Amino acid sequence: MAHEAPHIQTAFDRDLEALQALIMKMGGLVESAMAGAARALEARDEELAAQVRAADTQVDLLERQIHQDCARIIALRGPTATDLRTVLSVMKTAGDLERIGDYAKNIAKRVAVLAQMPQVGNSAGTLRRMMRAVELMLKDALDAFTRRDVELARHVRASDEEVDQIYNTLFRAFLTHMMEDPRAITAFMHLHFIAKNIERMGDHVTNIAEQVIYLATGTLPDDPRPKADATPFAPADE
Amino acid sequence: MNRAAAPVTPAVLATVKIQARGVQVFYGAAHALKDVSIDILDRTVTAFIGPSGCGKSTFLRCLNRMNDTIEIARVEGTILLDGQDIHDSGVDPVQLRARVGMVFQKPNPFPKSIYDNVAYGPRIHGLARNKAELDAVVERSLRRAALWNEVKDRLASPGTGLSGGQQQRLCIARAVATSPEVLLMDEPCSALDPIATAQVEELIDELRSQFSVVIVTHSMQQAARVSQKTAFFHLGHLVEYGDTEQIFTIPRDPRTESYISGKIG
Repeated sequence: MAHEAPHIQTAFDRDLEALQALIMKMGGLVESAMAGAARALEARDEELAAQVRAADTQVDLLERQIHQDCARIIALRGPTATDLRTVLSVMKTAGDLERIGDYAKNIAKRVAVLAQMPQVGNSAGTLRRMMRAVELMLKDALDAFTRRDVELARHVRASDEEVDQIYNTLFRAFLTHMMEDPRAITAFMHLHFIAKNIERMGDHVTNIAEQVIYLATGTLPDDPRPKADATPFAPADE
Repeated sequence: MNRAAAPVTPAVLATVKIQARGVQVFYGAAHALKDVSIDILDRTVTAFIGPSGCGKSTFLRCLNRMNDTIEIARVEGTILLDGQDIHDSGVDPVQLRARVGMVFQKPNPFPKSIYDNVAYGPRIHGLARNKAELDAVVERSLRRAALWNEVKDRLASPGTGLSGGQQQRLCIARAVATSPEVLLMDEPCSALDPIATAQVEELIDELRSQFSVVIVTHSMQQAARVSQKTAFFHLGHLVEYGDTEQIFTIPRDPRTESYISGKIG
């Protein structure tokens, strides 16, 4: 907010800055949940997975606090123009971050189940790369939010295509493995849900990037987002 | 409508009530209003906002030639009401003000009865032929101003004896009694409590079905609540004019943004 003119009522500036600080704190927690879930998956580390699951409570509490603060600012300050868009985009971003946190938590739960099974396939590295790509997108989206950087937000939005492509590749690989060895279906189903969770995380990061564009320009991008998720159309009985 | 000076098409006239072009106002040497051009729509509430001294009230007063009454004021430019220049030699300012009514910041009822306050305009303009017609105009005007039920049993008591909010609604009843086409309101709620303000705002919304309403207000929330169009004035310039929703969500000019969001700009 440093690049914008301050309000005559300085408490209003403090309110808006505090709100955005909460979003950044929430973003940081979600980033480490993502990294933790990916590490726990690769190392079959049940203890780390349990930490990731426990930490999600913090994210949920922050979302609730942000919601309350937004309601208070709307009721007491009557924000308009950029101020209004800041409050609205913070609310929406908090919702997306909460969802991403939930997916990380869900991955951590599946890690605990997978750790009890014999290791299958060699997808751990690919899943880690996929998670890393989404983590980077989230970092860029949050940086774009702080700097009101429309170009960076557009870049994030375009990056989601790569995540979709990794998901498609994994989907086909898992399908092939399951057909070859039906005893491994349970494990691969869990791995598939993990891949799907990461793919959904990418969609929520894309939403955050779109909120940055709305915040900076006043309009959401209306061009269709690049999409590469073709799995609903992949034949299952080839 | 064969005036060559009016650069408008009949299609535009159907919705544009007042067309102002290059309006300048000088108070002696002070240049109060600088080259203002705007189309004010019929059956629409238009809000003028801006900091004190920005020219919004000055411009409002141009629309029914109230600035004529100020010795040192000089108005330039063209203002067309339904395509007719309000400064034409053939236009009687008194008749103009019957068509373009005004409500002021402070309620200013005449020191007369409630009835006579409302009946005054229709009487001098000969809008009622007999007592029964006049009674009907008074009742209709007081009903429009949402005041009838509160005063119907004491129409003969002095208007100055009413509460502030009632006095302001009496002044609105007085202004609508002559069936104006445009109603100008200069901060009509600044002296009113929130309940009376809400009643006046509700009234403004009802009046919109019949008149063009132009309201000057310092309350951003009020402008947002009652108007469909908003014009932002700053240092004598019309900075931005657009749909109220657009002005309050995506203002185009940084000066508008600073003003409506209370920033030091």
